Amino acid sequence: MKHSKMQLSAETMNLGFVKKVELLSGSSVRRCFQCGKCSAGCPMRSFMEHPPNRVVRLLQLGQYERVLAGRSIWYCASCETCSTRCPNKVDLAAIMDALRKLSWDAQGPSKESYVQLANRLFIENIRTYGRQYEMRLAAVFNVKSGQFLKDLMLGPKLITRGKLRMFHQKNRNIGEIEKIFSRIEEMRKNGEAP
Amino acid sequence: MSRIGVFVCHCGENISRTVDVERVAQAAARLPGVAYATDYKYMCSDPGQSLLKKAIAEHNLDGVVVAACSPRMHEKTFRKAAEATGLNPFVCEMANIREHCSWVHEDREEATAKAIDIVKLMAARVRRNRRLAAITVPVTKRALVIGGGIAGIQAALDIADAGHEVVLVEREPSIGGHMAQLSETFPTLDCSQCIMTPKMVDVANHPKITLHTYSEIEEVGGYIGNFQVTVRKKARSVDMAKCTGCGVCMAKCPQKKIPNAFDKDMGTRPAIYVPFPQAVPNTPVIDRENCTYFKSGKCGVCAKVCGPCAVDYTQQDELVTEQIGAIVVATGFDLYSIEPKPADSPIQGYGEFGYGTIPDVIDGMTFERLASASGPTGGKILRPSDGKEPKEVVFIQCVGSRAREKGISYCSKICCMYTAKHTMLYKHKVHDGQAYVFFMDARTPGKNYDEFWRRAIEEEEAVYIRGMVSRLYQKGDKVVVMGSDISVGIQVEIEADLVVLATAVQARKGADTLAQKLGISYDKYNFYSEAHAKLKPVECATAGIYLAGACQGPKDIPDTVSQASAAAAKVMTLFAKDQLEREPIVARVNERFCAACFACKKVCPYGAVEEKEIRDRQGNLIRVVASVNPGVCGGCGTCQATCPSKSVELDGYTDEQVMAMIEAL
Repeated sequence: MKHSKMQLSAETMNLGFVKKVELLSGSSVRRCFQCGKCSAGCPMRSFMEHPPNRVVRLLQLGQYERVLAGRSIWYCASCETCSTRCPNKVDLAAIMDALRKLSWDAQGPSKESYVQLANRLFIENIRTYGRQYEMRLAAVFNVKSGQFLKDLMLGPKLITRGKLRMFHQKNRNIGEIEKIFSRIEEMRKNGEAP
Repeated sequence: MSRIGVFVCHCGENISRTVDVERVAQAAARLPGVAYATDYKYMCSDPGQSLLKKAIAEHNLDGVVVAACSPRMHEKTFRKAAEATGLNPFVCEMANIREHCSWVHEDREEATAKAIDIVKLMAARVRRNRRLAAITVPVTKRALVIGGGIAGIQAALDIADAGHEVVLVEREPSIGGHMAQLSETFPTLDCSQCIMTPKMVDVANHPKITLHTYSEIEEVGGYIGNFQVTVRKKARSVDMAKCTGCGVCMAKCPQKKIPNAFDKDMGTRPAIYVPFPQAVPNTPVIDRENCTYFKSGKCGVCAKVCGPCAVDYTQQDELVTEQIGAIVVATGFDLYSIEPKPADSPIQGYGEFGYGTIPDVIDGMTFERLASASGPTGGKILRPSDGKEPKEVVFIQCVGSRAREKGISYCSKICCMYTAKHTMLYKHKVHDGQAYVFFMDARTPGKNYDEFWRRAIEEEEAVYIRGMVSRLYQKGDKVVVMGSDISVGIQVEIEADLVVLATAVQARKGADTLAQKLGISYDKYNFYSEAHAKLKPVECATAGIYLAGACQGPKDIPDTVSQASAAAAKVMTLFAKDQLEREPIVARVNERFCAACFACKKVCPYGAVEEKEIRDRQGNLIRVVASVNPGVCGGCGTCQATCPSKSVELDGYTDEQVMAMIEAL
């Protein structure tokens, strides 16, 4: 997939997907003229198989499967260096966000990626406790991802420095937070929110 | 000259950094014939020039040497200053101690010694300078414009509007050139015909413009202000005075299947034809190669149907000689052809693109005709092979251009923009079509150009792919395009319905022949050379001949029109005076010693040497000698070096002067 030949035609170029990305991100994809400044400054570039400029280029050619198949979009740290420095006002960080969202919706190949898992658990935690409960997040992540011993030795250090609490503290206004979540769900159902 | 003044310039620090200018001035003061020597920080500045004028007056100087920069830089400045004091300007010379000395040396001692030597040489030469008088040449205030494209039209109109006579010569039956073939023009997408035809009509109606269409330049003689140009008016076989342009002959001509070159051979035309409906003049021409009457002597339909009896099969080529003062060359360009190379051209042909055998691979100009409302398809984009509307169109830039392998290393300049325009025209006509462009670089340096290109991508949804196409081949009714997107590093394959090649702009076929007739220089691609790339972009090295448009190099319409107006302005400057003044550095023949071998005539690059007959009072021919026409002489000195009897000398560089310079060392 990564290096296989591209057959370009009106059918194989999914420009509808590009329109979706542009709508979600509020940024033009076509506008990018491939100067490469985003990739030049990206701190995560060395971990990505498609550097940021190539992600946009593949989108321009309607090759969304190639983008979603890779892990580049999940390595993006959302530091927004690219968006800040882009000479042509392409909000690449927003495009990356949109791609992650679409990857999720598309039940994309990265559905099982640890990043997605971590994101989901993070949100679930917020909904349950009204704030982050790191101990539970780490434990559930390790169990669900099957990496039981991952980062285990960091635990004692974090605990002794007071960075990790053994027990959770529930937010007093948890009802309000639940309202936010249910309102967004309602809006999504009505198609008012992405 | 025995009272020479030497003025040594510091040029800020440019000279004084490596040359001890004070010592140069001191050494100069001791030279024979030098009455005064000094140095100054900036001789070319106002105080510097005043210093020079004051010294000439105070010391009663009769010759000046300014030791400073190149004479190309400031010779005029100092000669003017010297002239202001009443001195003959041609006894003021420059010793170049900057470009020839301080800039190229590091050792101060040696550089100073060399500077002194250079001043010595110049002083020796100035001592033997003659007081020359500027040469005046009469000017015929009549301009010739060669080529009736947009460049020629613009230049002709500008000169004619200034009140001067213009002769416009066009090779084709109608003026208009390439611009008349275009459908719409970048970056505003206005219709080419709509902005072009009013100008064509203006040319036809202008009382000051004499139009020779279907004509070629036969011979050019003379020099600036006084050219004699012979124009061959090819036999049109139609009397222009009688023809009303009704078009009955064209409608009745039985021979209708001749490919129309104006439509890039897509449409057809009769044997008696005008190249396009808006032609100026609207007088048909008989294409004698394809006319049945000329081939077999039978037919003659056009003569029978012609009401005013304008058809004349007996017409012959006519030679017209015009007296001309200045020439504007605006002969335009040709497009590179991917078809197999003719034996005489080492650069044509593209095997990997099928050598022109794939019917749905066309060039940009053919696409223009397809998109043009007056074109063979009435403005519908239909592909040549089966007349279907193409849904996937691939455009390939840089075909022939920037291809050292094809012998063309230059950029054709207009292709990036016209390809962007083509993608837009295509999108406007085929809404559900997709345009792809393979490009190496997008070069869009012009007002509103980059915005135009970006619009093609961002709004008109053309897919631009950076990378050159490796091969085209036919597969069923599709053309497979094998390319690569180098920004993602993946091979790309497109099955296209139509492929449009942005072929290179080349010099006109035969541009070299015309240049030889005119005596102007051209580069290795046969584009005409300007006198200076930056500061004399419209002048030729040959005086009185100016360039406009793509004959000088690839150029778009705005640049062409600007250059044409610039060339017209140069012509008007020339015509503003009744007499032309020029530098008197010309060769003179000593008729007493001339042996009439005419070796000088053979080597003269300007054609300035003529044969002069010397007769006695009774008119008997005594002898023939060489004679230099001072109006044409370029002052190169080749004749002087060639003459076996040493009877030609270049003023200012006579043998006596040169020998004295050598002896001074």
